[in-house]
Amino acid sequence: MGKTARHLRPLAALLGAALALSTTACGGATDASTAAEAVDISGSISGQTINYWSMWKDGEPQQKVIAAAIADFEKETGATVSVQWQGRSNTEKLVPALNTNNVPDLVDGTFAKLAPVIGETGQASPLTSVYSYEVDGKAVSSVIPEKFTSNGVFKGEDGQPWMVPYSVSSDGIWFDAAKHPELKANPPATWDEFIEVLDTLKAGGSAPIAADGDIAGYNSTWFVTALLRLKGAGSFKALVEDKSGEGWDDPAVLEAARKVETLVKGGYLNSGYNASKFPAQQQLWANGDAALILNGSWTPTETGSYAAPGFEYSSFQFPAMGDKPASARVDFIGFAVPAKSKSQVPAQRLAAFMLSSKYQNALGTEAKVLPVRPDAPVAPAVESVKAAIDAAPATHLQNDGVTFPGFMEKVFFPKDDELFLGKTSADEFIGKMKTAQIQYWKDNS
Amino acid sequence: MTLHLTEPRTDGAPVTSPESRKPVPRKSRRGSRPGGSSIDVQRKKLLIPFVGPAFVLYTVLFIVPALGAVWISLHKWAGSGPMKFVGLDNYGRIFRDQLFLSSFGNTLLLLFVVGTAIFVLAFALTLVLRDMAGKKIARNVIFFPHLINALVFGVLAGFIFNPGGMVNSLLAPLGVTDPPKWLAQDNIFPLIMVTLVCTTTGYFTTILMAGVDRIPPYYYEDCALAGASAFQRLRYVILPLTWDVFGTCAVLWTISSVKIFEIVWVFGGSSGAGVPPTQSWTAAVYTYVNAFSGQSTPAYGAATASAVLSLALISVLVVLLRRAMRRDAVEF
Repeated sequence: MGKTARHLRPLAALLGAALALSTTACGGATDASTAAEAVDISGSISGQTINYWSMWKDGEPQQKVIAAAIADFEKETGATVSVQWQGRSNTEKLVPALNTNNVPDLVDGTFAKLAPVIGETGQASPLTSVYSYEVDGKAVSSVIPEKFTSNGVFKGEDGQPWMVPYSVSSDGIWFDAAKHPELKANPPATWDEFIEVLDTLKAGGSAPIAADGDIAGYNSTWFVTALLRLKGAGSFKALVEDKSGEGWDDPAVLEAARKVETLVKGGYLNSGYNASKFPAQQQLWANGDAALILNGSWTPTETGSYAAPGFEYSSFQFPAMGDKPASARVDFIGFAVPAKSKSQVPAQRLAAFMLSSKYQNALGTEAKVLPVRPDAPVAPAVESVKAAIDAAPATHLQNDGVTFPGFMEKVFFPKDDELFLGKTSADEFIGKMKTAQIQYWKDNS
Repeated sequence: MTLHLTEPRTDGAPVTSPESRKPVPRKSRRGSRPGGSSIDVQRKKLLIPFVGPAFVLYTVLFIVPALGAVWISLHKWAGSGPMKFVGLDNYGRIFRDQLFLSSFGNTLLLLFVVGTAIFVLAFALTLVLRDMAGKKIARNVIFFPHLINALVFGVLAGFIFNPGGMVNSLLAPLGVTDPPKWLAQDNIFPLIMVTLVCTTTGYFTTILMAGVDRIPPYYYEDCALAGASAFQRLRYVILPLTWDVFGTCAVLWTISSVKIFEIVWVFGGSSGAGVPPTQSWTAAVYTYVNAFSGQSTPAYGAATASAVLSLALISVLVVLLRRAMRRDAVEF
């Protein structure tokens, strides 16, 4: 025993030292949600430096446009931008960084990824000054369409916007206009017309709709969009927020589920959609083996390398139902500035700088994505999507902006998959969702 | 044990004698030199410089984060911003969560069902490979799958099992017009189990072979003379003489099986572009989705609670396994 004790003493001393070391090294979570104020960003920023963690990787088309903008920004303002082209995982890396005092000054990402980690946790600076800053002689707020901001998606708890979008993505039902000119000339506007189109395609011997059924996010677009068509933008979020779960008894919700069921039972989906692995089905579609696919505005870029020769991308919007004005899906890609950043002014200035028409045009024509400014030109493949966004009276986010912890992944996706993959009926789906949602809110409130 | 063997014996007793372990002779020395023998003193002096750095690193990198995880699991926290203390709520919640229970069930399936299959196959292969011509090549071939990144299997699964994939193309000429839906959500986990058996068996076979190769050939000659069957040879020679190797392998598998994540992640959910179907989740996937799915507000409290439970599971299983496998190693 004596021997053990003598060995233990130095070990205990070591343990103490190690603990002391590690506590000073890790710091621990500090409360950073101090209400930050909007700052004046008009002054000179010459000689200042910012750290920017980008969602793009070196060599991506968007990265080239942003890199060019940064070069111009440095020349014009005298500020220095130190960029890390981190790729899509930048938001995951941001989470631990936010607990330290060593945060990036500027990050970008999709709204869906930035909102949970920085927007809704009160970790972002208010960017009100960016919206009033002038680019090309116009305030930033006037070059971003009002319908993008009017529903207040970018506003944090303090009522001030925390995100400035520079690009958007959307969705549509895509087809090859070279093979189906009739769809381009006369796209189905209502659900009934859509079903007619599907019947015609089916009678013609080709599979009407391709779908990568292993991606829950794609599957859910059918039900969620149908519901938004029936009840308007924001109705899915309202349905999910309802702690009593009674919203699921609404006949319109059942109606939306029935529409999905119609597609499944009617045999309109390409056989094998429920047992394949992405991107098998979108490859089939791009090869011309199926006529339609409901997918994002990135579809032309993503399938361009394997599309059949002469493929001409075009799309129409998810058909309207009832008399509600159909909203267009618009997901945002943009900048946020962590509240702890010590270089607020140059970071916010760079966010505003990306809204200059020069770089917005480059995003449309060179990177071939949808710029946030409606006056920027876009590539021919996504013209149909841009036209739909321009014409839509309102917009909605993917999954209607639902980000409650684990709700989509653990509650909605599994049950919606069952509906879309033909394992449950619309009525069973409604019943299961109601029960699961009540349980979810019991556990999470 | 080994420490005693290296100590100088002043009483001249044989090393193996239990008497030598009595501290009697040393007691007399201790009176004159309180630090024990000079080797003892040296050893103590070297303890801190030798053990210290490893100990500090281990504490900082493993023990402190593990304690931190326990601390986080008592909170509701989105990864940054304010933490709300909720006590053991996260644990209660995940135990009520059907999804956690089914994910945990999958982890146990991997641990026990896949584990049993792996070791039965590994022992069978060991027996076959021992007498086989060209066994070195065969050994390398069966070890090879273990070197390949799980991502490759995830992508290959698409090529092989898609509706228009290799398997169905091979089945078509055989008259199978309505092949099973290989990649349907319910079939993904069984496929993952089969894949794991295929990729991991070679690894453990290699380790077991190393143990079997140590067995001196005269035991086998003895067996042959005594007319022992192959099974008897396994039962009375190979198993007892490789028991410690087998025990280590079992612990290794227990630890790695509870952490299995990437193959599930890439098999379903389109090679990582989405979240895999919940039917194929393991406890590790459940943990990851709660914290990092990127599709909703992170729930670090629930994620760490599930990670802490997994750690507890591993610890309990390893201790039980060590106890169950405890035998005196046979010296040969």
